[in-house]
Amino acid sequence: MRFLARRLVNYVLMLFLATSLVYFLASFFMDPRSNYLSRNPRPPMASIDASLTAANINDKTPIFERYWNWITGIVLHWDWGLSPTQEPVSGAITSRIGASVQLLSLATVLGIVIGVGLGVYTATRQYKWQDRVLGGISTFFLVVPTAVLALGVVIGAIWLNQAVGFRLFYVTGLHSYEGHNWLLKLSDLAQHLILPTIVLTVITAVTYHLTQRTYLLDTMNADYVRTARAKGLPLNVAIRKHALRTSLIPTTVNVAFTVAGVFTGAVITETIFAINGLGKYFITSLVNNDINASVAIAAFGGACALIAALLADVAVAWIDPRVRIS
Amino acid sequence: MADIELAVTAAAAAEVVADEQGTTLRRTGRLALIARRFVRRRSAVVGVVMLLLLVVFAFVGPMIARWGYDEPDFLALAQPPGAEHWFGTTTGGSDVFALVARGLGRSLLIGILSSLATTVVAALIGTTIAFFEGWVERVGMWILDMLLVVPSFLLIAMITRSASGTGGWLILTLALTAFGWIGYARVLRTLTLQLRELDYVHAARYMGVGSFTIIRRHLVPNLGSVLIIQTVLGVVGAVNSETALSFLGLGVKAPDTSLGTILQAGQSVVLTSPWVLLAPSLFLVALTFSMQLIGDGLRDAIDPYSRSGGKA
Repeated sequence: MRFLARRLVNYVLMLFLATSLVYFLASFFMDPRSNYLSRNPRPPMASIDASLTAANINDKTPIFERYWNWITGIVLHWDWGLSPTQEPVSGAITSRIGASVQLLSLATVLGIVIGVGLGVYTATRQYKWQDRVLGGISTFFLVVPTAVLALGVVIGAIWLNQAVGFRLFYVTGLHSYEGHNWLLKLSDLAQHLILPTIVLTVITAVTYHLTQRTYLLDTMNADYVRTARAKGLPLNVAIRKHALRTSLIPTTVNVAFTVAGVFTGAVITETIFAINGLGKYFITSLVNNDINASVAIAAFGGACALIAALLADVAVAWIDPRVRIS
Repeated sequence: MADIELAVTAAAAAEVVADEQGTTLRRTGRLALIARRFVRRRSAVVGVVMLLLLVVFAFVGPMIARWGYDEPDFLALAQPPGAEHWFGTTTGGSDVFALVARGLGRSLLIGILSSLATTVVAALIGTTIAFFEGWVERVGMWILDMLLVVPSFLLIAMITRSASGTGGWLILTLALTAFGWIGYARVLRTLTLQLRELDYVHAARYMGVGSFTIIRRHLVPNLGSVLIIQTVLGVVGAVNSETALSFLGLGVKAPDTSLGTILQAGQSVVLTSPWVLLAPSLFLVALTFSMQLIGDGLRDAIDPYSRSGGKA
């Protein structure tokens, strides 16, 4: 317990410093004043300054004063600041997180399960045709940029819709049904979700396939597996009981550290499928020079990564008998 | 991704050391051996040929193109591929052939430069952190972990968005390097942990050789094979990041162009003029796939335990 507490304190400190770093970088690189200057007719300077100051993003205020206002707002009121349009960031981000979770949770779980499964399957058949074919397919999908993959899926779906003559898949948004029939509601969600889920699942699965294959191959040649084999244990049992367990440890750590990666991969997917998730929110806030929103998103991403890292620690301790928490 | 090589190349490094101490037999040189094993893999050779063709296209394409990439033909808007415009035109009348040739060159340049720079930075920092043990290592690792908390994609996007004009690709390259080395340095640090216990590293240290000299002379060269493979595969990663950012309108922007930028233009006209999307997609996939094939081939050629290429 003390171990966990210490680690938690360390993580909170890391998150605090990382978020502050992003805050300073964002304040340095983003220029919300230009939003107003490019308006036609241009509003009077005094009113521009007033709006910027109200949102605590006026570049005429010293940066440390802005930082202090920002950080005390979060610590005291959990207030993540205002957009240049004076809209509170906290509320806007919460609804986007909801959409992102709907989109990502299924795909992430599917991707990990399919990927690790494929990795184990191909590792036990190293250099046989199954391994070569599946490995080739995965390598191909690994290098295809997300944008190309997602656009390909969109083209395929549109073609299929035209072929069957009615709208089987929706290529944009997350909901379009407005009624109260939960069955129709569910099928509506499925029609929207299936395409982005395919894209995200493929992206996640191929990485896990290739890494899990390597990890398992490494442990399959380890001494303790050979010993187990020499004692007469059939290959499949030896792999399942001894090699698999060890080879899952690095995968577990990987899962933790790719949470941030899933998040960025979703930026493209959300943009193409026009889903109002965090990724899309991030792009809009960048384009709008919305300092506070960008920092809040970065902080959320960082918090996710750290929670995942903590869970990974616990999971590794559970899988690996050699790890003693001390 | 980078973790895969970890175990493989640690073994490779050990083998190389044993190799250099022992054999007095007449033997094939190491480079010749690697080259021979590399050439034996058909997929790797295909990768090299594909890459060469692409590089030639990026160089020659702009010369033989009938139109400049920044010279729209207002008499041919959204034309399908034909004699005048080989890959067709965009809705704005730009020649897709010229765009793709120019964009491919940009994407290649950004990918290769930032991958090289990332490797150098990661190698120096990763080995340094591992070499000095003690508090340098603890503080260094803590900072690395802290930097990993920040989603680097967001920061890169933030920085390149503020850049504009034709210098944008340089800023993008710098940003990709500035935030791309972190996870990689971690992996190299783990590898160096084993290297720093080697006898000749200890010996050099007791002889009073400067720390930086040891790092440069003994540690970094020992990581050679990992670094080469990572640089090749890093190009794939960098090209993918570049495409993603440009696609979102945050990377390379008009008047300059890159494959991601053309994809973005093609996205809105998927149904009416699919060739705008198809041409850059094909070139992009060919580019990343060829790099991946070369990287895989190199890995198998350098790794002495690999069983995939027959006996060398």
